Amino acid sequence: MPELKLFHGTRIVATPAALDTAVWPQDALALRLAPDEVFVTPAITADIVDDQHAIVAPDAGFAGAWIVPDEALEFLQRSCEWELPLERPAFAQGAVAGLPVKLWLEDDRVLFLVPAPYATDLEERMA
Amino acid sequence: MNEFIERNVRLSWHAAKRSYEVVIVGGGGHGLATAYYLATRHGITDVAVLERKYIGAGNTGRNTTVIRANYGIPEAVRFYQRSLDLYASLEEETGRGITHRQKGLLWLAHSETGIRAERARAELNTAFGAGTEYVGPDEIKKICPQLDMAGGGVWPILGASYHPGGATARHDRVVWTYAEGAMQRGVHIHQRTAVTGLIMDGDRVTGVETAAGPISAGAVVSAVGGHVTALASMAGLRLPIRTHPLQAFVTNRYGLGFDPIVSSSNLLFYASQTAKGEMLLGAEIDRQPSYSYRSGHHFLQSCGHRAMTLLPFLRNLRVLRQWTGVCDMSPDYSPVMGKTGVGGFYITTGWGTWGFKAIPVGGEQMAELIATGETPDLIAPFSLDRFARDRTMADRGSAGTH
Amino acid sequence: MSFHIPCPNCGARAIEEFVYGEIVVVPDSITDPDERNLDRAFIHGNPEGPTSERWFHAMGCQRWLTLRRDTRDEQIILTAR
Repeated sequence: MPELKLFHGTRIVATPAALDTAVWPQDALALRLAPDEVFVTPAITADIVDDQHAIVAPDAGFAGAWIVPDEALEFLQRSCEWELPLERPAFAQGAVAGLPVKLWLEDDRVLFLVPAPYATDLEERMA
Repeated sequence: MNEFIERNVRLSWHAAKRSYEVVIVGGGGHGLATAYYLATRHGITDVAVLERKYIGAGNTGRNTTVIRANYGIPEAVRFYQRSLDLYASLEEETGRGITHRQKGLLWLAHSETGIRAERARAELNTAFGAGTEYVGPDEIKKICPQLDMAGGGVWPILGASYHPGGATARHDRVVWTYAEGAMQRGVHIHQRTAVTGLIMDGDRVTGVETAAGPISAGAVVSAVGGHVTALASMAGLRLPIRTHPLQAFVTNRYGLGFDPIVSSSNLLFYASQTAKGEMLLGAEIDRQPSYSYRSGHHFLQSCGHRAMTLLPFLRNLRVLRQWTGVCDMSPDYSPVMGKTGVGGFYITTGWGTWGFKAIPVGGEQMAELIATGETPDLIAPFSLDRFARDRTMADRGSAGTH
Repeated sequence: MSFHIPCPNCGARAIEEFVYGEIVVVPDSITDPDERNLDRAFIHGNPEGPTSERWFHAMGCQRWLTLRRDTRDEQIILTAR
């Protein structure tokens, strides 16, 4: 299992409409944590969101790793009790192995993110 | 089990009369013990206990039967120590076996803070009459060799308070011992008799409505578990009670002698071995208020995981059965007993996770209150109006699990 | 008891992913301010039947939702953000 590394990014809290219409940079991954919150990684600098009251802050609170789908799904099968989305790409979040995990599922790889203090716990439980 | 005991104790059952001196609502331990002590200590036998299912069907038959007095406030230590003493002599007094076993109880500390808490518990218990001493790792290992002193590397056992008086008893035996003792002296017990309302005369309770018709009473006692809020509201009372589910489970038989009751505040679980050899485990209440008796897999998973941290041998056992009771939790984790401010209406509730161990003392004290009209000193601190008087009896640290 | 809460943001999840939050209701019939404070601090309606409450999805979106739940059988009647 790969070692989990800090994922630097930008956390944005804004109106849902502003987040719906925002266009993220090509190389960025934007994870919609809630209707009014997004985590974009790597960090963005440009003023992308159309909401003058938006909170835009650098965030290094998540640790994560990309994992090949077979390995990821095998682990999820035994450690995740809720239904994973079938479409790709897809974002999902919830308890995995008893930890608050965020998943980004692509056809050929899966991103596991956890709040950084849980990184060693997730590593241990994936091993 | 109940049918077996019923056939063997030869009780005579009566039709309900239209009127009794005392009507007790709820045929659990507290209701039956109140009737028993009214009859034996005060000669009051014109008493009826009304139970909507069968006696002991509620939490008295669903708890984990821990008897102990190692609480964290003086009022509670005195109160539960009295119960411990009454339990210890109950078999002799009644001539009935309740499989009372004095086992000793270890309350484990896993941190500096935990050590301080257990030292304080030992000091306070000793000062107020419950024998508790602080013990170090060597003594702990002697008392309970099955413990992993390293706590799986995460929860090392650094010390404990040891309460030698800690005991268990068989719950349905307790129910039937009190029921039999009361009935032999003329108390009526009416099972499958639900109370549907309270009869009021002005602001005084003068009887109860039941499915079998109205019954008038000089005094009505609510010894209801679980549905007390609904009953009290009929007398215009709002209670400081939230009803929460509490789950427990037993494993298959474990051969080795597991002598004490073991408890951990940090890991929020406790374990003991039943007379049949099953390991009995319980934990804290479910967070959300509910009256549902349904049990869940998550509880087994989390409680089992925590227990195995300290008792690795549990890994090799299987869960035999699991059940749920509903606990009436008070805001300060202490019971609510005594007068209610409504004439003719007494209450004993808020028995949360500490009800079984208090059955004898609860019954004895409520009986004295009803017989004399004066609140006994032992239960005066636990009155319903303590919240309005800003005299809460906060003891969550001692009452959170068992 | 374990049951599932349909989180409007994340989907159905076991209650163990959530933190319970009470909605304190002091009846309008209590008018005295001291009585209202006492009721708010200590008293609970403890309803047997449908009740409204808040749950925080700690393991998922970290948002509160409102749930209408029957305390007799844990049936979920309604969820809303």
